[in-house]
Amino acid sequence: MDGYDQRNDRAEGALNCPDCRQELQDYLDGTLDKKRSLGVFLHLRECAACRVEHDALHAVFMRLDTLPELEAPADFDAAVLASVPYAAYRAMEPLRRERVPVFLEDHFLPAWMRARVTRAGGLIAAAGATGAWLAGPGQAWLLVVAAAGAAPEILLRLQWVGRRLVGVRRAEG
Amino acid sequence: MFDRHQDLKTIRRCKRGEEAAFAEILARYRGPIYNLCHRMTRNPEDARDLSQEVFIKVFRLLDRYDEEFAFSSWLFRIATNHCIDHLRRNRMRFLSLEGVTGPDGEEFELQIPHGGPEPDTVLERKEAVQRLEEVIADLPPHYRAITLLRHQQQLSYDEIAEVLQLPLGTVKARIHRARAQIQQMLEARAYDI
Ligand SMILES: [Zn+2]
Repeated sequence: MDGYDQRNDRAEGALNCPDCRQELQDYLDGTLDKKRSLGVFLHLRECAACRVEHDALHAVFMRLDTLPELEAPADFDAAVLASVPYAAYRAMEPLRRERVPVFLEDHFLPAWMRARVTRAGGLIAAAGATGAWLAGPGQAWLLVVAAAGAAPEILLRLQWVGRRLVGVRRAEG
Repeated sequence: MFDRHQDLKTIRRCKRGEEAAFAEILARYRGPIYNLCHRMTRNPEDARDLSQEVFIKVFRLLDRYDEEFAFSSWLFRIATNHCIDHLRRNRMRFLSLEGVTGPDGEEFELQIPHGGPEPDTVLERKEAVQRLEEVIADLPPHYRAITLLRHQQQLSYDEIAEVLQLPLGTVKARIHRARAQIQQMLEARAYDI
Protein backbone atom coordinates (compact mmCIF):
# COMPACT_ATOMS: atom_id res chain seq x y z
CA MET A 1 0.00 0.00 0.00
CA ASP A 2 0.98 3.62 -0.61
CA GLY A 3 4.51 3.61 0.73
CA TYR A 4 3.43 1.82 3.89
CA ASP A 5 6.33 1.17 6.21
CA GLN A 6 6.05 -2.40 7.49
CA ARG A 7 9.53 -2.60 8.94
CA ASN A 8 9.80 -3.90 12.44
CA ASP A 9 13.24 -2.56 13.19
CA ARG A 10 12.11 0.34 15.32
CA ALA A 11 15.15 2.36 16.13
CA GLU A 12 14.80 3.96 19.56
CA GLY A 13 11.04 3.53 19.76
CA ALA A 14 10.41 5.00 16.32
CA LEU A 15 6.90 4.18 15.07
CA ASN A 16 6.09 2.14 12.03
CA CYS A 17 3.13 3.01 9.83
CA PRO A 18 0.49 0.64 11.26
CA ASP A 19 1.28 1.83 14.80
CA CYS A 20 1.15 5.43 13.68
CA ARG A 21 -2.26 4.97 12.00
CA GLN A 22 -3.46 3.24 15.14
CA GLU A 23 -2.59 6.26 17.26
CA LEU A 24 -3.67 9.04 14.90
CA GLN A 25 -7.09 9.59 16.46
CA ASP A 26 -5.70 9.71 19.98
CA TYR A 27 -2.97 12.01 18.71
CA LEU A 28 -5.56 14.42 17.31
CA ASP A 29 -7.67 14.07 20.46
CA GLY A 30 -4.66 15.04 22.54
CA THR A 31 -5.05 11.97 24.75
CA LEU A 32 -1.68 10.37 24.01
CA ASP A 33 1.07 10.68 26.59
CA LYS A 34 3.98 12.93 25.73
CA LYS A 35 6.34 10.21 24.59
CA ARG A 36 3.88 8.53 22.22
CA SER A 37 2.63 11.85 20.96
CA LEU A 38 6.20 12.79 20.11
CA GLY A 39 6.63 9.42 18.38
CA VAL A 40 3.65 10.14 16.13
CA PHE A 41 4.86 13.68 15.50
CA LEU A 42 8.29 12.47 14.44
CA HIS A 43 6.88 9.72 12.25
CA LEU A 44 4.58 12.19 10.51
CA ARG A 45 7.54 14.39 9.72
CA GLU A 46 9.25 11.51 7.95
CA CYS A 47 6.32 9.67 6.36
CA ALA A 48 4.28 11.29 3.59
CA ALA A 49 1.72 8.48 3.44
CA CYS A 50 0.79 8.80 7.11
CA ARG A 51 0.81 12.57 6.78
CA VAL A 52 -1.87 12.33 4.10
CA GLU A 53 -3.92 10.14 6.41
CA HIS A 54 -3.34 12.55 9.30
CA ASP A 55 -4.44 15.55 7.25
CA ALA A 56 -7.59 13.78 6.06
CA LEU A 57 -8.52 12.79 9.60
CA HIS A 58 -7.68 16.25 10.89
CA ALA A 59 -10.07 17.72 8.33
CA VAL A 60 -12.81 15.39 9.59
CA PHE A 61 -12.14 16.50 13.18
CA MET A 62 -12.28 20.15 12.13
CA ARG A 63 -15.53 19.71 10.26
CA LEU A 64 -17.14 17.87 13.14
CA ASP A 65 -15.96 20.43 15.69
CA THR A 66 -17.31 23.32 13.67
CA LEU A 67 -20.81 22.05 12.96
CA PRO A 68 -22.91 25.19 13.24
CA GLU A 69 -24.99 25.75 16.39
CA LEU A 70 -28.71 25.70 15.76
CA GLU A 71 -31.05 28.08 17.55
CA ALA A 72 -33.92 26.55 19.50
CA PRO A 73 -37.36 27.97 18.59
CA ALA A 74 -38.29 31.19 20.41
CA ASP A 75 -41.31 29.71 22.17
CA PHE A 76 -39.35 26.72 23.40
CA ASP A 77 -39.45 27.38 27.17
CA ALA A 78 -43.13 28.21 27.59
CA ALA A 79 -44.44 24.72 26.87
CA VAL A 80 -41.86 23.14 29.15
CA LEU A 81 -42.32 25.53 32.06
CA ALA A 82 -46.10 25.22 31.85
CA SER A 83 -45.85 21.51 32.60
CA VAL A 84 -43.59 21.68 35.67
CA PRO A 85 -45.40 20.47 38.80
CA TYR A 86 -44.25 23.39 40.96
CA ALA A 87 -46.96 22.88 43.58
CA ALA A 88 -46.05 19.23 44.02
CA TYR A 89 -42.41 20.14 44.57
CA ARG A 90 -43.35 22.77 47.14
CA ALA A 91 -45.65 20.35 48.92
CA MET A 92 -42.98 17.65 49.00
CA GLU A 93 -40.25 19.95 50.26
CA PRO A 94 -40.90 19.46 54.01
CA LEU A 95 -41.08 15.71 53.52
CA ARG A 96 -37.84 15.45 51.62
CA ARG A 97 -34.87 14.49 53.73
CA GLU A 98 -32.57 17.41 53.26
CA ARG A 99 -29.13 16.70 51.90
CA VAL A 100 -26.06 18.27 53.41
CA PRO A 101 -25.25 21.84 52.35
CA VAL A 102 -23.33 22.08 49.09
CA PHE A 103 -20.12 23.37 50.74
CA LEU A 104 -19.91 20.11 52.69
CA GLU A 105 -20.01 18.02 49.52
CA ASP A 106 -16.76 16.39 48.40
CA HIS A 107 -16.73 18.00 45.01
CA PHE A 108 -17.03 21.49 46.50
CA LEU A 109 -13.22 21.37 46.68
CA PRO A 110 -11.30 21.12 43.38
CA ALA A 111 -10.14 17.65 42.37
CA TRP A 112 -6.45 18.52 42.61
CA MET A 113 -6.93 19.50 46.24
CA ARG A 114 -8.71 16.25 47.02
CA ALA A 115 -6.01 14.21 45.30
CA ARG A 116 -4.06 11.92 47.60
CA VAL A 117 -0.81 13.26 46.17
CA THR A 118 -1.65 16.85 47.11
CA ARG A 119 -2.79 15.89 50.58
CA ALA A 120 0.15 13.64 51.35
CA GLY A 121 2.65 16.04 49.78
CA GLY A 122 1.10 18.91 51.70
CA LEU A 123 1.35 17.08 55.00
CA ILE A 124 4.98 16.18 54.37
CA ALA A 125 5.76 19.81 53.52
CA ALA A 126 3.87 20.93 56.62
CA ALA A 127 5.76 18.49 58.84
CA GLY A 128 9.08 19.58 57.35
CA ALA A 129 8.27 23.25 57.80
CA THR A 130 7.12 22.75 61.38
CA GLY A 131 10.27 20.82 62.16
CA ALA A 132 12.43 23.55 60.66
CA TRP A 133 10.52 26.19 62.60
CA LEU A 134 11.01 24.36 65.89
CA ALA A 135 14.69 23.78 65.19
CA GLY A 136 15.48 27.21 63.81
CA PRO A 137 15.16 30.78 65.09
CA GLY A 138 11.37 30.72 64.58
CA GLN A 139 10.90 32.20 61.10
CA ALA A 140 7.25 33.09 60.50
CA TRP A 141 7.21 32.05 56.82
CA LEU A 142 7.80 28.45 57.83
CA LEU A 143 4.52 28.54 59.73
CA VAL A 144 2.78 29.87 56.62
CA VAL A 145 4.20 26.96 54.60
CA ALA A 146 3.07 24.54 57.30
CA ALA A 147 -0.46 25.96 57.29
CA ALA A 148 -0.71 25.93 53.48
CA GLY A 149 0.64 22.39 53.31
CA ALA A 150 -1.81 21.05 55.85
CA ALA A 151 -4.78 23.01 54.46
CA PRO A 152 -6.12 20.44 51.92
CA GLU A 153 -6.15 17.63 54.46
CA ILE A 154 -7.68 19.86 57.15
CA LEU A 155 -10.42 21.16 54.84
CA LEU A 156 -11.37 17.64 53.79
CA ARG A 157 -11.47 16.50 57.42
CA LEU A 158 -13.62 19.51 58.38
CA GLN A 159 -16.06 18.68 55.58
CA TRP A 160 -16.25 15.14 56.85
CA VAL A 161 -16.89 16.28 60.43
CA GLY A 162 -19.47 18.78 59.13
CA ARG A 163 -21.31 16.07 57.23
CA ARG A 164 -21.39 13.88 60.32
CA LEU A 165 -22.67 16.75 62.49
CA VAL A 166 -25.43 17.63 60.02
CA GLY A 167 -26.38 13.98 59.71
CA VAL A 168 -26.43 13.46 63.48
CA ARG A 169 -28.47 16.60 64.10
CA ARG A 170 -31.02 15.52 61.45
CA ALA A 171 -31.29 12.08 62.98
CA GLU A 172 -31.94 13.56 66.44
CA GLY A 173 -34.40 16.14 65.16
CA MET B 1 -17.51 21.69 30.36
CA PHE B 2 -20.68 22.26 32.36
CA ASP B 3 -20.51 23.65 35.90
CA ARG B 4 -21.53 20.69 37.99
CA HIS B 5 -21.52 22.62 41.22
CA GLN B 6 -23.67 25.43 39.88
CA ASP B 7 -26.09 22.86 38.47
CA LEU B 8 -26.46 21.10 41.80
CA LYS B 9 -27.36 24.34 43.53
CA THR B 10 -29.94 25.16 40.86
CA ILE B 11 -31.43 21.65 40.94
CA ARG B 12 -31.90 21.90 44.70
CA ARG B 13 -33.79 25.14 44.16
CA CYS B 14 -35.90 23.37 41.54
CA LYS B 15 -36.75 20.69 44.08
CA ARG B 16 -38.05 23.40 46.39
CA GLY B 17 -40.41 24.43 43.59
CA GLU B 18 -38.66 27.70 42.68
CA GLU B 19 -39.93 28.63 39.24
CA ALA B 20 -36.90 30.75 38.33
CA ALA B 21 -34.59 27.79 38.89
CA PHE B 22 -36.29 25.73 36.16
CA ALA B 23 -35.91 28.65 33.78
CA GLU B 24 -32.21 28.81 34.65
CA ILE B 25 -31.71 25.15 33.79
CA LEU B 26 -33.50 25.72 30.50
CA ALA B 27 -31.35 28.71 29.69
CA ARG B 28 -28.24 26.64 30.36
CA TYR B 29 -29.22 23.46 28.52
CA ARG B 30 -31.87 24.39 25.96
CA GLY B 31 -29.25 24.92 23.24
CA PRO B 32 -27.16 21.79 23.84
CA ILE B 33 -30.18 19.47 24.12
CA TYR B 34 -31.99 21.00 21.15
CA ASN B 35 -28.85 20.73 19.02
CA LEU B 36 -28.29 17.12 20.06
CA CYS B 37 -31.89 16.21 19.17
CA HIS B 38 -31.68 18.12 15.91
CA ARG B 39 -28.49 16.40 14.78
CA MET B 40 -29.88 13.05 15.87
CA THR B 41 -33.09 13.45 13.87
CA ARG B 42 -32.24 16.06 11.19
CA ASN B 43 -35.74 17.38 11.57
CA PRO B 44 -36.53 20.71 13.31
CA GLU B 45 -40.05 19.70 14.40
CA ASP B 46 -38.89 16.38 15.81
CA ALA B 47 -35.98 18.15 17.47
CA ARG B 48 -38.26 20.66 19.17
CA ASP B 49 -40.73 18.01 20.33
CA LEU B 50 -38.07 15.62 21.53
CA SER B 51 -36.04 18.21 23.40
CA GLN B 52 -39.14 19.66 25.06
CA GLU B 53 -40.20 16.17 26.08
CA VAL B 54 -36.74 15.59 27.55
CA PHE B 55 -37.02 18.68 29.76
CA ILE B 56 -40.60 17.90 30.76
CA LYS B 57 -39.53 14.40 31.77
CA VAL B 58 -36.45 15.61 33.63
CA PHE B 59 -38.35 18.31 35.47
CA ARG B 60 -40.89 15.75 36.67
CA LEU B 61 -38.31 13.21 37.75
CA LEU B 62 -35.90 15.45 39.65
CA ASP B 63 -36.30 13.33 42.77
CA ARG B 64 -34.80 10.41 40.87
CA TYR B 65 -31.68 12.34 39.94
CA ASP B 66 -28.69 10.85 41.75
CA GLU B 67 -26.52 13.72 42.96
CA GLU B 68 -23.47 11.47 42.85
CA PHE B 69 -23.32 12.15 39.11
CA ALA B 70 -23.23 15.39 37.18
CA PHE B 71 -26.69 16.69 36.31
CA SER B 72 -25.50 17.30 32.75
CA SER B 73 -24.63 13.59 32.40
CA TRP B 74 -28.09 12.57 33.56
CA LEU B 75 -29.74 15.06 31.23
CA PHE B 76 -27.65 14.00 28.23
CA ARG B 77 -28.35 10.36 29.03
CA ILE B 78 -32.10 10.92 29.04
CA ALA B 79 -31.90 12.99 25.85
CA THR B 80 -29.74 10.42 24.05
CA ASN B 81 -32.01 7.55 25.01
CA HIS B 82 -35.09 9.54 24.07
CA CYS B 83 -33.72 10.27 20.60
CA ILE B 84 -32.62 6.67 20.06
CA ASP B 85 -36.07 5.42 21.13
CA HIS B 86 -37.67 7.87 18.74
CA LEU B 87 -35.47 6.69 15.88
CA ARG B 88 -36.31 3.08 16.70
CA ARG B 89 -40.03 3.82 16.72
CA ASN B 90 -39.71 5.41 13.30
CA ARG B 91 -37.75 2.59 11.86
CA MET B 92 -40.56 1.53 9.56
CA ARG B 93 -39.41 4.38 7.38
CA PHE B 94 -36.19 2.51 6.90
CA LEU B 95 -35.24 -0.77 5.47
CA SER B 96 -32.91 -2.10 8.08
CA LEU B 97 -30.07 -4.48 7.29
CA GLU B 98 -29.08 -6.19 10.46
CA GLY B 99 -26.47 -8.67 11.52
CA VAL B 100 -23.37 -6.63 10.82
CA THR B 101 -21.50 -6.77 14.06
CA GLY B 102 -18.64 -4.50 15.02
CA PRO B 103 -15.50 -5.64 16.83
CA ASP B 104 -16.86 -4.76 20.28
CA GLY B 105 -19.99 -6.74 19.69
CA GLU B 106 -22.36 -3.83 19.15
CA GLU B 107 -24.67 -4.38 16.25
CA PHE B 108 -23.67 -2.11 13.40
CA GLU B 109 -26.93 -1.46 11.68
CA LEU B 110 -27.02 -0.15 8.20
CA GLN B 111 -30.03 1.98 7.51
CA ILE B 112 -30.88 2.55 3.92
CA PRO B 113 -33.60 5.10 3.31
CA HIS B 114 -36.07 3.98 0.71
CA GLY B 115 -39.16 5.43 -0.84
CA GLY B 116 -39.61 9.12 -1.58
CA PRO B 117 -36.88 11.24 -3.12
CA GLU B 118 -33.38 9.93 -2.53
CA PRO B 119 -31.79 12.46 -0.16
CA ASP B 120 -28.31 11.46 -1.28
CA THR B 121 -28.49 12.68 -4.84
CA VAL B 122 -30.09 15.98 -3.89
CA LEU B 123 -27.93 16.91 -0.94
CA GLU B 124 -24.60 15.89 -2.35
CA ARG B 125 -24.62 18.97 -4.51
CA LYS B 126 -25.17 21.23 -1.52
CA GLU B 127 -22.93 22.65 1.13
CA ALA B 128 -20.22 20.67 2.90
CA VAL B 129 -22.08 21.10 6.17
CA GLN B 130 -25.14 19.47 4.78
CA ARG B 131 -23.11 16.56 3.49
CA LEU B 132 -21.55 16.13 6.90
CA GLU B 133 -24.94 16.33 8.60
CA GLU B 134 -26.17 13.61 6.37
CA VAL B 135 -23.17 11.41 6.97
CA ILE B 136 -23.72 11.78 10.71
CA ALA B 137 -27.39 10.96 10.25
CA ASP B 138 -26.43 7.79 8.40
CA LEU B 139 -24.44 6.47 11.31
CA PRO B 140 -26.25 3.96 13.50
CA PRO B 141 -27.97 5.93 16.31
CA HIS B 142 -25.52 4.94 19.06
CA TYR B 143 -22.56 6.03 16.98
CA ARG B 144 -24.31 9.22 16.00
CA ALA B 145 -24.96 10.06 19.64
CA ILE B 146 -21.41 9.38 20.71
CA THR B 147 -20.01 11.50 17.86
CA LEU B 148 -22.26 14.41 18.76
CA LEU B 149 -21.47 14.21 22.46
CA ARG B 150 -17.77 14.34 21.65
CA HIS B 151 -17.65 16.87 18.84
CA GLN B 152 -20.72 19.01 19.29
CA GLN B 153 -21.00 19.06 23.07
CA GLN B 154 -17.22 18.75 23.47
CA LEU B 155 -17.56 16.19 26.27
CA SER B 156 -14.45 14.26 27.28
CA TYR B 157 -14.25 10.49 26.93
CA ASP B 158 -14.78 10.18 30.68
CA GLU B 159 -17.88 12.34 30.60
CA ILE B 160 -19.30 10.37 27.67
CA ALA B 161 -18.67 7.14 29.57
CA GLU B 162 -20.69 8.60 32.46
CA VAL B 163 -23.49 9.77 30.16
CA LEU B 164 -23.83 6.47 28.32
CA GLN B 165 -22.86 4.29 31.29
CA LEU B 166 -20.33 2.46 29.19
CA PRO B 167 -16.73 1.47 29.94
CA LEU B 168 -14.16 4.01 28.79
CA GLY B 169 -12.61 1.51 26.36
CA THR B 170 -15.95 0.94 24.64
CA VAL B 171 -16.54 4.67 24.34
CA LYS B 172 -13.14 5.16 22.76
CA ALA B 173 -13.55 2.22 20.38
CA ARG B 174 -16.93 3.49 19.23
CA ILE B 175 -15.77 7.06 18.70
CA HIS B 176 -12.81 5.83 16.70
CA ARG B 177 -15.03 3.62 14.62
CA ALA B 178 -17.60 6.37 14.09
CA ARG B 179 -14.94 8.80 12.89
CA ALA B 180 -13.40 6.26 10.55
CA GLN B 181 -16.87 5.60 9.19
CA ILE B 182 -17.53 9.33 8.73
CA GLN B 183 -14.22 9.77 6.94
CA GLN B 184 -14.96 6.86 4.61
CA MET B 185 -18.48 8.06 3.86
CA LEU B 186 -17.31 11.62 3.20
CA GLU B 187 -14.62 10.37 0.84
CA ALA B 188 -17.00 8.00 -0.93
CA ARG B 189 -19.58 10.72 -1.43
CA ALA B 190 -17.08 13.30 -2.61
CA TYR B 191 -16.61 11.20 -5.76
CA ASP B 192 -20.32 10.97 -6.47
CA ILE B 193 -20.78 14.60 -7.37
ZN1 LIG C 1 3.92 6.09 7.98
